[in-house]
Amino acid sequence: MGNSEAPVDLVAVRERWMGVEFDWASFDMHVEDMVAWANACGEQDPRFTDPSHADFQAHPGFTTHCMSGRVLPDDFPQIGGGFGIDGGKNVQVHAPIRAGDTLHATTTIADVFDKTGRSGTMIFIVQRMEFRNDDDELVSTVDWKMIKKA
Amino acid sequence: MLHSLSFEDIELGDELSEAHPDVSMAAVTKFCNAAKHSFERFTDHEAARAEGFPGAIVPGIMSQGLLAAMVHRWAPGCNIKIIDTVFRGSLLVDSEIVMTGAVTDTDEEHRRIELDLTIIAEDGRTGVIGTATVEFPE
Repeated sequence: MGNSEAPVDLVAVRERWMGVEFDWASFDMHVEDMVAWANACGEQDPRFTDPSHADFQAHPGFTTHCMSGRVLPDDFPQIGGGFGIDGGKNVQVHAPIRAGDTLHATTTIADVFDKTGRSGTMIFIVQRMEFRNDDDELVSTVDWKMIKKA
Repeated sequence: MLHSLSFEDIELGDELSEAHPDVSMAAVTKFCNAAKHSFERFTDHEAARAEGFPGAIVPGIMSQGLLAAMVHRWAPGCNIKIIDTVFRGSLLVDSEIVMTGAVTDTDEEHRRIELDLTIIAEDGRTGVIGTATVEFPE
């Protein structure tokens, strides 16, 4: 079996997969986890560290640790090599996350694109998780940029 | 007591005070426990070296959290609406890192500002770059 593979048509991949939901999960927001996270980040604002504060809420990036285990859809094409590296996170805070909330996350492929630089062409796969509370209010969106060598 | 900083106090080009967060093994382990982020590359130097890193590395999501805390210390009571970080290079556990920030835009109508954020590794490399959109209450 040879190592050569046909180049992946990223435009076709993007058209096929962008916006497709492929995972659903729920996460309970526990007060002790919220406080531990904020303290570990060196947070001093009591809105994030003191559960007795009237506006106590999760730290802005708290949802970034909510992983359901599925990184890509089951039948997503193999692009590049390996698992890829974590290229970064974009977090949008839409509304406060409160202790006791259960967040319902939906995961989609938000984008697929490539960039070419000195070290060659890299492929970016953007996975988006949207978190809604029990009132169906969108509270957080996390875009995770996964980078693979083309 | 935290000082206050209102939207009216802020001007384009203002810089946040440099911060030197604790990324010791104890601090990173504490974060990993809080995040249930139990990968040895973050909490064990030898295991990280076996994966090809120079030593244990600071989780990207922790570096983002450190930057958010720096913004809150600078402007207590502000609300981070968006924080976007790009992980450009590894930040090593048990090293000295420096966080900086600067105001790059202001929006009077919405009482929002834009910040550029950076984390520099001990050897001078840029480990993390990012931006934040921050809103100030009336």
